[in-house]
Amino acid sequence: MNVIEYKCPNCGSGMVFDSETGTLSCHSCGRKDNIEQIPDPLGQQAFSADEVQEYHCTSCGSVIIVEAETTATVCSFCESAVVLGDRLSGSLAPGLVIPFSISKEKAMKAFRKWCKNGLLTPSGFMTADRIKGITGMYIPFWLYELHNKVEAYGHATKVRAYTKGDYRYTETQHFDIYRKLQLNYLRVPIDSSEKMNDKLMDKLEPFPYDLLKSFRTPYLAGYVAEKYSYTDTEMLPRAKDKIREYIESAISSAVSGYSTVNFTNKEIDTRVKNVDYCLLPVWVVHYDYNRLEYTFAMNGQTGKVVGKPPISKAKVAAWFAGISSLSFLSLKIISWMMGGGFL
Amino acid sequence: MRRQGAVLAVLFFFMVYLVVPGQIMAAAVEEKILIYDEAKLLTPEEFDELNTMANEYGAKRETDIIIITSKNGENVDVQDMTEAFYDEHAPGYDKSHGNAVILTMDMRNRDVYLAGFYKAEQYLDNGRIDKIRGKITSDLSSGDYKQAFEKYIKTSYKYMGFKPGVNPDNILFNIWFQLGGALAIGGIVVGMMVYRSGGRVTVNRQTYEDASNSGILDRQDQYIRTTVTKHKIEKSSGSSSSGGGGGVTGGGHSHSGSRGKF
Ligand SMILES: [Zn+2]
Ligand SMILES: [Zn+2]
Repeated sequence: MNVIEYKCPNCGSGMVFDSETGTLSCHSCGRKDNIEQIPDPLGQQAFSADEVQEYHCTSCGSVIIVEAETTATVCSFCESAVVLGDRLSGSLAPGLVIPFSISKEKAMKAFRKWCKNGLLTPSGFMTADRIKGITGMYIPFWLYELHNKVEAYGHATKVRAYTKGDYRYTETQHFDIYRKLQLNYLRVPIDSSEKMNDKLMDKLEPFPYDLLKSFRTPYLAGYVAEKYSYTDTEMLPRAKDKIREYIESAISSAVSGYSTVNFTNKEIDTRVKNVDYCLLPVWVVHYDYNRLEYTFAMNGQTGKVVGKPPISKAKVAAWFAGISSLSFLSLKIISWMMGGGFL
Repeated sequence: MRRQGAVLAVLFFFMVYLVVPGQIMAAAVEEKILIYDEAKLLTPEEFDELNTMANEYGAKRETDIIIITSKNGENVDVQDMTEAFYDEHAPGYDKSHGNAVILTMDMRNRDVYLAGFYKAEQYLDNGRIDKIRGKITSDLSSGDYKQAFEKYIKTSYKYMGFKPGVNPDNILFNIWFQLGGALAIGGIVVGMMVYRSGGRVTVNRQTYEDASNSGILDRQDQYIRTTVTKHKIEKSSGSSSSGGGGGVTGGGHSHSGSRGKF
């Protein structure tokens, strides 16, 4: 048995995770179970280690069509929530999860609002009635704890200018500078899903880490989830790349009081202290406009929407003309107030 | 959307109106003689053209823009010549002995003098009138008199459009700078809007930093040496041949001025 289902002990209907109350709830009889207190079926069942080719819905018996990365989905025939246990155990077992707090209805509403606020999107796009599909997805992320020992060597100057007699003097003091820093970063998130665009996922941050919970499969009931496509070792370069700019800015801010600063050498020693496998909630919206499909993502906790909307050339031109004219008028008024004639 | 478009159209036409110079509305009033070309530096066609131009531009500033050229048979000082001309001819746009700017060319000594009277004394002070002379001197030296006089008329007109005391060559007053700046602002703002339409990164280095265990462990700032460079300060008084500035005519008319060689 590799498929987990959540049957209501009262009435036998399928139960799903409810983002409003944070419980596993039954829509038929209204039963709500606290996920942290009920036993996780994942711990009770034994899973075959072999790659399973086919999953069957335990409710209706039909074959569940899933992609290789899918770990949770909804049966396309009977709509029961199914979780694929073998893809969530062993080395594939997530340690942490942030459950959804925004429901599908709220997500739709928030997305419509975001469409309306788009100043450059074509007016037709704003109706937001072309939403092709909205899917609540748990995206696999690696959360890295990275400890960095940083040593930076460089050259700095202090410049002072003064006049004496007929001459203008520029006095430059030269310094050799050295800084040693310890920079620890906690839970740097890197998405390890092949499907999701990395840049899009980066913009979804930050996720509220105070809502992190130990992973339990009922959180996935009724949503789509994926397992990681790349291991933490494979994604480490991207994590290092991400913290690189934080380290650079920390180094720069460690040097102050100089006119110029030039670093000649920076030694960064990064140690991976800990990696957590974590599932983070994202609403994925597919949208049709002018026969093109657009993908947007919404942080399932904060409601932040990201994704490239279509841009209306007419609106861009209108804004450009408007802002330029107003700026021109302002510059004219400034020059006129300074005494420079209006024409 | 339609109303928005209308507002934009109005703004656009306003902008065009500001950019196109207002020279089209030339009045057909009778011309006075403002050029006294005794040294015959101009052809009759050039004379007519420049005289018309001096009338037009002068009228907008309520100032007579005058040019005198002289072979200077009696070898009079160029400034005295200018002052004597003002006292005798009593020029002025508003009244006799009124607002006037005079460019005097002494072809014998190759001296040039510019003087501003009344409104022109105020608006074309020694500093500004010096700048005008600076702009035309090279054309005068190369014998390009028509072009020099044209510049003199236009620059006098232009400078009198600025309040006394401000630098007329301030880049902020330049219409091309204003236009370029406005387009740049529009481009940058709209570019930012397009760039940010897809959402932006809102995390920074503090987001993931473990502040209690991060920080500077060691710092060394080693002083090595001091270097000093020196530059001679250029005297801002400008061209070497200039002197004098303004003065008062025999008839008691105060004026600004700038003299030089060409
Ligand atoms: Zn039930
Ligand atoms: Zn089924």
